[in-house]
Amino acid sequence: MTDTLFDPKWEWAFENASQALLETIQIAILASILGCFIALPLSFYASKATNQTTTTYIIYKSFLNFIRTIPDLFWAMLFTVAVGLGPFAGVLALVMFSMAIMGKLLSETIDSIDLGPLEAAKASGAKHNQAVFTSALPQILPNFTAYFLYIFELCIRASVILGLVGAGGVGRIIETQRIFLRFDRISPIIVLILLAVIAIEQFSVWLRRKIL
Amino acid sequence: MNIPNQPLNQKILKYVITVLIVVGSIWSASGLEITPDRIFSAPGKIWILISAMFPLDLSQEAIDRIVPKVAESLFIAWAGTVIGAIFSFPVSFLAANNVSLNSLSRLTKQVLNIIRAFPELILAFVLLPITGLGPLTGTLAVGIHSIGTLGKLSSEVIEGIDEGPLESIKSSGGSKLNELFFGVVPQVMPTITSYWLYRFEINLRASAVLGVVGAGGVGAELINQLRFRDFPRAGTVLVVTILMVLIVDTISASIRRRIIKGREIKV
Repeated sequence: MTDTLFDPKWEWAFENASQALLETIQIAILASILGCFIALPLSFYASKATNQTTTTYIIYKSFLNFIRTIPDLFWAMLFTVAVGLGPFAGVLALVMFSMAIMGKLLSETIDSIDLGPLEAAKASGAKHNQAVFTSALPQILPNFTAYFLYIFELCIRASVILGLVGAGGVGRIIETQRIFLRFDRISPIIVLILLAVIAIEQFSVWLRRKIL
Repeated sequence: MNIPNQPLNQKILKYVITVLIVVGSIWSASGLEITPDRIFSAPGKIWILISAMFPLDLSQEAIDRIVPKVAESLFIAWAGTVIGAIFSFPVSFLAANNVSLNSLSRLTKQVLNIIRAFPELILAFVLLPITGLGPLTGTLAVGIHSIGTLGKLSSEVIEGIDEGPLESIKSSGGSKLNELFFGVVPQVMPTITSYWLYRFEINLRASAVLGVVGAGGVGAELINQLRFRDFPRAGTVLVVTILMVLIVDTISASIRRRIIKGREIKV
């Protein structure tokens, strides 16, 4: 059975997997953008530095911790049952996934910001939200960008496997070929995934160096 | 009062990024057939699924089936982390450019990059025809992926060490090996140990899903219960998994804090 793994059918893979690979990348882009921008306001509420109300702080913090405990593929399974098979379930799963990571990373960054500007804004008459928007947000934006790119990479990796449970992307093709034990078709797809992941990662590293 | 204008290139960069994000999400959403009515009907459908799970199936039979599976995930994660830790530790010395040869470090880093590019599930896929169904495949997949990630993290720790102790060992007649043992290892050990624990937390989540492809662990249980539409039992699987992850996370986080910050001194 392993012999066929090293006898890749390249043409078949190019014909059938390129569309699904594109779908995978689209899922990752959409989910990381949505997840990170939902997590941005949430993490201000989940940080002691910008949220003095203990009850809401605990609620937001434990909400983020809770969604972080469920693995990405479990989310995908749940969403495929809830909203049906297809890439939409995959997007929802990865939104939860990226939201959880961004929430944790960003809220911990906000914990350690310089409180001086916040105080200055408040002293000059700003409301709490205004003070946060004008003096806490600019401090964490560079970190936000770096985390965003990092999460985008994670999402690319995660979206490859979403198809195994029917949540769209290139994993779907792997799953169907696995059932038929066509490892000669799986191996070129895996190589294609590998190349795409490495290329996107290099792009993201380049972009990070350019922006920051 | 004059507020200085934002430099032009920064302004352009800001607009370019905004346009990239907007265009990227629209392009993706259109390719995935995501329509507004699907988005608005999603919360209701999710709520139906959640309410179908309660009350949870807490019968003795269900518990007897689920708990060993969750424990198996825990074992896979631990064994995989140990494999990753043992193999990544020497490799990270080869990959760090301040203690290794330049060309060797570059080569090792590329190898680690390639290992890291495979998600655990894809690795499990490749290993399935070789080691067969079962937890061994999962353990190897988790272990190999951990070598890649831990190797990268550890080598970055080694690259960030203070060169002073190395120099003093060299000046008092120590060999290159002495430098590594008495100069590098004591400096990097706390951080690397905490990375191992951190990796264990991540591996726990990874091993939970490995069952989907038949590589052992609790994932198979969840996907089967969902396929047979046995939602109360699927709910039990989820709750037990979440509890296990929460407990392990809490313990591991407190150990990591103790390693990095030391004992808390009460004044």
